[in-house]
This record gives sequence, C-alpha cells and structure tokens, in this order.
Amino acid sequence: MLANRTRLILIVVLLAFLVTLPLWTSRYVVNVGLLVCLYVTLASMWNLLAGYSGMVSLGQQMFIGLGGYTLAVSSVYFGVPIYLSVLFGGFMSVILAVLISMSVFRMKGVYFAIGTWVIAEALGICFSNWGYVKYGMGMFIKPAYKLSMSGVYYAGMILCISSVALVFFLLRSNLGLALMAIRDDDKASETLGVNIFRCKFICFLLSAFVTGLAAGVLYLNAIFIQPFEAFGIGWTVNLLFIVIIGGIGTIEGPILGAIIFVLLQQFLSEFVGYNLIILGGVTIGVIFFAPKGIVGTLQEKTGWELFPVRRQ
Amino acid sequence: MIEYLEPLINGILLGGLYGVVGIGLSMVFGIMRQVNLAHGDLMILSSYFSLLFLQVLGLHPLVTLILVAPLMFFIGYLIQLFLFNRVMQRGMEPFLMISFGLSIIIQNALLLVFTPDARSLETTLVIKSVDAFGLFNIPLIYLVNFAAGALVLGALQQFMKRTYMGWAINAAADNETAAKLMGINPKKVYAYAMGIAAVTAAISGVLVGMTFTFYPHSGTQYLIIAFGVVIIGGLGSLPGTFLGGLVLGVSQLFGGRILGPGFQLLSGYIILLIILTVRPQGILGGR
Amino acid sequence: MPVLELKEVDAYYGELQALFKVNLEVHRGRIVSVLGANGAGKSTLLKSICGLLESRSGSIFFDGKRIDGLSPHLIVDLGLSLVPEGRKIFSSLTVRENLMIGSYTPKARKDSLETLKNILEFFPSLRARISQKGTDLSGGEQQMLAIGRALMSRPRFIIFDEISLGLSPLVVKELYKAVKKINQEGMSVVLVEQDVKRSLKVADFAYILQEGKVTLKGNPRYLTEETVRKAYFGI
Repeated sequence: MLANRTRLILIVVLLAFLVTLPLWTSRYVVNVGLLVCLYVTLASMWNLLAGYSGMVSLGQQMFIGLGGYTLAVSSVYFGVPIYLSVLFGGFMSVILAVLISMSVFRMKGVYFAIGTWVIAEALGICFSNWGYVKYGMGMFIKPAYKLSMSGVYYAGMILCISSVALVFFLLRSNLGLALMAIRDDDKASETLGVNIFRCKFICFLLSAFVTGLAAGVLYLNAIFIQPFEAFGIGWTVNLLFIVIIGGIGTIEGPILGAIIFVLLQQFLSEFVGYNLIILGGVTIGVIFFAPKGIVGTLQEKTGWELFPVRRQ
Repeated sequence: MIEYLEPLINGILLGGLYGVVGIGLSMVFGIMRQVNLAHGDLMILSSYFSLLFLQVLGLHPLVTLILVAPLMFFIGYLIQLFLFNRVMQRGMEPFLMISFGLSIIIQNALLLVFTPDARSLETTLVIKSVDAFGLFNIPLIYLVNFAAGALVLGALQQFMKRTYMGWAINAAADNETAAKLMGINPKKVYAYAMGIAAVTAAISGVLVGMTFTFYPHSGTQYLIIAFGVVIIGGLGSLPGTFLGGLVLGVSQLFGGRILGPGFQLLSGYIILLIILTVRPQGILGGR
Repeated sequence: MPVLELKEVDAYYGELQALFKVNLEVHRGRIVSVLGANGAGKSTLLKSICGLLESRSGSIFFDGKRIDGLSPHLIVDLGLSLVPEGRKIFSSLTVRENLMIGSYTPKARKDSLETLKNILEFFPSLRARISQKGTDLSGGEQQMLAIGRALMSRPRFIIFDEISLGLSPLVVKELYKAVKKINQEGMSVVLVEQDVKRSLKVADFAYILQEGKVTLKGNPRYLTEETVRKAYFGI
C-alpha cells in the first residue's frame, strides 16, 4: 500500500540520517544529535508510562540519578568497563523500581505523581549526604574522558532507536492492546480479565530500565554528576515540555517534541533567562490551541501516523 | 526527653506556617478539583513583591502585606478568569499543564529580575527569640507564624461558613449546575476562589520570606511542602490542612534533630510517603 | 402578553435533535403542566428555558425580553427560578445556608432575612432542621428545601421539575398544596410531571410532549383520558 511504502521510506531516510551523522557534521552537531536521541528515549519512556499506561510520573529522575551514579561508582571505584557500567545503571534502576512498586502502586493519579516526585527528592537528599559518592560535590567519571564523541553518540543512537522500536512493538502486542484498553477505561478493562497490575508493572520496570540506560549514556557525555542536578525535578520539567509540545499518547510525539526542545534550547541559549520564559509561554499556548500537541493535533486532523499502532 | 521538647514545640509552631502554605493548594483542589503547580511560585512571587516594597518604601515586611495581599488577589483572580477558566471543563491535565507553564514563567522571570542571589525579608523578629521555660529558645518569628497560621485558617473557615461568596464557592464545588440556578456565575466564583488562594499564598510567602532565605526557584520546594501538608492532613478539610502542617513541621524538626540537619526535609518526605501508601485520603480526609 | 413564550424552539445535544419546533406559552398567574414520558424532551425543554442548554433556533421570551442564549445566572436574576429534578441540595451547606444561597442575586439579597422568615413559616418542618446538613433531610423535606431555596430568589415565575419523584403520596399531597398556595400568591408556575392525574388536577393549561414535539395542548377540563394517553404514548 502506498501509505506503508511512504512510511518505510521515511523511516529508512531517518535512520540513514542518524547513522551517518558523525561522518559529515561537526562535533557540536553530533553532541546535539546525542541530546536529541537521549531525550527521545527518556520522553518515549515517560510517554509509555503516562500516555499509554495512565501513570503520570513526576519522579523519573530517580532512575536518571541512580543510573548515572551506578555508572560513576562501578566504573570509577570498581573499574567495571564503561559500557557495562551503563548496563548496570539500567539494572539498578529496575531494582529500585521493584523496591518502590510495593508502595507507589497503591497510589492513584495525582498521588502517584507526588509520590514518585517525593521519592526522587528523598533519594537526592540521601546521595548528597553520602560520603561514598562525595556528598553534594559530585563525582567525576574519569573513565569516560577517553571516549570519543562518535562512540557515545552511537550508544545514544542505538538506545534511541531501540526504545522507539520497543514502544512500537509493545503497543502492537497483546500487552499494548491491554494498555490502551486500560488507558481508556480502567474499570471496564478489569472486568474483561485484563490484569491491570501486571501490565502497569511491566511498563514501569521497562521504563525504569531504559531510563537508567539513557542516564548512563547521558553522564558518559557529561562526565560529571551531582546529586541535586541528577535527581532534580528539572528532568521532568524538560520531559513535560517535550511531551506537551509533541503530544502525549503518540509515538511520534516524543520524537518531534525532543527535536523541537533541543533545538529551541540551543537557539535560545543566547537569551539566558528568557529562553525558559518563552518555553513556558509556548507550553501554555500549545495547551490552548493544540492540546494534543503538534503530533496529536496533526493525527486528529489527518489520521496519519508514522508508526501506526491503532488496529483498524 | 527535654532535648525533644524543642523540636516538638518549634515543629508545631512551624507547622502553623506550613498550614497556611498548604491551604491555597487545598482550596483549589477541594473547590475546583484541580491542581495548581504554580502555587509555590505564587508564594515566592509574593516574597519578592514584599522585598520590593520593603526596599523601595522602607516598610516592615508584615506591613507590606497591605499592598501585597490585594495585588496577589488580583493576580490570582485574573489568572483564573483568563487562563484557567478556559480549560476547566477539559479534565485535570490541561489545568495542570497551564499551571506548570505558569510556574516556569514565574520562576524564570524572578530569576531575570532579581538574580539568583539568596534573599530574605530582614526584620528584628527573626533575630529575637523567646525563652521557653529557660530550657531552649523559640525564635519569635515562629510564634508569629503560628499565630498567623491559626488566624488565616480561622478567618477562612468563617468566610466560607458565613458569607454569600463563601456559600457560593461551596455550592459551585458541590454542584455547578445547581449553583448556576441560584444566580451564581461559576466563572466569577472560581476566579474569586483562586484570588483567595493567592492571598493565602501572599501571606505565607511573606512569612516564609521573613523566616527563611529564598531564591527564585524556592517555589518548587514549598509546593512539595504544600502537597505534603494537604496529603497528610486530608484534602478538602481546613482543620485537616492545619493538622497536616503540624505533623509535617514536627516530623521535619524531629528528623533533623535525630538524623542531622541535612535530613530535615527527608524526614518530612518519609512521613508523606507513609501516608500516601497507607492512608492516601489523609488523617482527616474529606470530600 | 404571556409571561413565558417559546417560539419554534429547536434544541440539540451535539448532533442529536431533542426538541422540534416547540411552541409554548405561559400566561401570568397560571399553572401550566408539561407532561410526557421519559425521554420525551421535558428536561431538555427546561434546560433550554433556564439557559443550561443553548437552543439552536427559535426564541424564548420572558416578560417580552429575549432570554435564549443568556447564561443561567442572568436568567435567575430576571425572576425565573427552577426547582431542579432530583432536588440538587448542596451537601456542604446546612439547611439555612442552602436557603440563604438561594438569595444570592443582588435583588434577592436585600430582604433575604425577611424572605427566610416567611419561607420557614411556609415550611415549618424546615425550621426544626435549620442547622442540619442539607442532604441529611428526608426526601420530602429535601424537596421542600429545594422549593424554599428557589423561592428565596424572589421569583415571579417558578418551574417545578418532577417534584413527586420518589416520594410517598402523602408527601406529594403536601407538596402540591404548597404549589397551589405559591400560585395563589401570584406566581406563574410550570409543573413538569410524570404523575399525570395529579398535575392535571391543579393545572390551568397542559402541554404534552412526545419525542421532542408538542403532541397535545389544552385546558385539562376539556381533555379526556384517552386523548391524553394517545398524546403521551403515541398509541
């Protein structure tokens, strides 16, 4: 079908663009590309939770902080190979997710949002009072110094592509069908035998894992980690911008949103101070005029999806 | 034993302030079923307004309230009328997002205008303290905070129970359609309610500014406190909010005493998480 | 001139049409019954009159003034009051507060305490429960409270929406006595009911709705049971 052919071509072009980026642009652009990839990953995971599983988390930064610190500790103190350390970051995040699930899964709606936020804040306080990780002064991730920009970029790119693919195939699976039923009507789907808890739990763990991995790559690039920044609400603020502007509950939304966000950040970095005010204003504007985000509104008008998830 | 008396007493007094911090958030949720993420920032905005009047007019911070409170009422009223009212019937997300955008704007505007330096509303009240049974010191400002807290909550209680606007606000919260049939214009009533919430933010903002140092981004930390107070005490209950404030204040100071000053906030968070897990409707959970 | 007049009113819920060119008149000081089965369009009609639903076409006049398109709170201010179906008593207000909120409009506020006194004389059982929560009252008392609350706005025109619903015949008798008394003091009344017999007994004029259209209208004295049944059910 013509539509599917167009989609495939578009995707291939996009992939080619991504893969060849380091070959024909400057280090700066590759860095920007890395940021876009990482934000797409983070936003896709946030979207999986909030847009598809109905769990609005304001605490994803707990996995960012934990993933980053795991990377730091394993590579600096235990000499674990750097990319393996990134993987460990993902695993630690899953462990954290399992540990807190007992508590947070009893929280609904806005309570869940606050609860996750508070846990992240609590972790931030713990880490900034912990001598082992050098308190609030932060840690330098020495083993990351010798990595090449391209290397880190490709790590981020692979992660990005995998996470988008993950979400895509997840949503087309039975689990995905269950999720969309849950999102539309919690109680009704329960009566149809859908095990809500299991579905949400799996998504929660998955998003924790991938977020932890993304954090690892992030700090490979940043080389320096500090508790208040790593566990700070700023991450959620950025993710919120991305999914509001791009569109919650769509696969393409986080992608477009991340691109716009990172580009805006770069452009507006000259107007320090005004840039965030403008972003705030844009957010409000989007809510008024395009509440489903750019992608959501486009999808509504044209019914076209780059990554079709709806069953016809 | 005696060394625990100090965090207990001071925690209770601090709790009075926390109660006022939380009441604006509680009102907006209880009446409009919406969450205002910019609440903490409205507080800090008030602190900065007070700073301005203090510096320009040489007024005592408490006196600046005469100017700051009406100003904040106006701001809250207009925000509800022109921003929030347009999305009230669209569920919880749009309101949340708009308040989020507003929060970002306020924080960064303050950053631009006032720089990231630490500020405080200087007054002798902060330095003076009262001797409690000859055992420890109570900062005078804590007493003022508690008294103000009790006063504000009491006044609000009376307002809601005895005035036409108070009844109208309750009626609109109960049943918007029936309220319209009484001749009540819900849009105006919600704007009024938001204005009142902003006034409580103004009061708590000035008090906080006198008690602690503040920065443009301090709003976020007070938003968490407000959530803590409201969740612990129970949504939609005025006495609950006060109680929530007391519990939070005491937990914080106790935790700070036992674990160390760096863990003050953490102690509060732990109590909050426990309540969220075990009894999310709060101690005096209402509507 | 009739005190309330509907001309060719169409009303829609989204794309679904619920009223079809409804024409209706209420003359000053009269009791008019509006009858019909469930889903006939009675509540749609009331919502349109009170401004809770915007009519797509046609016009509604209250004392010669056009009110279609006005917000509900402005219509109340003009002197038109509705006792809503299901009472809709405010649960966070006491009996007294429920009554007082009825006098919210500036016109009604002026002598509200005087009005309150009169209403408590009219419905003595409310006085006994004056400080109780509004929703703690029995069904019949809540209905009286709802009526009293509507009266607090000092209207010239009251609409009673299904006041007999869910109440015992004895209580309904009392309520209808109150309705008659209210009318005797000069109030124009619209009675929306499912209890056909009782409402036709008090009405000066009746309209019967079926599927959003007026299928019968006339003075109840000249309407036979059979014509009413036909218009009501469409058999």
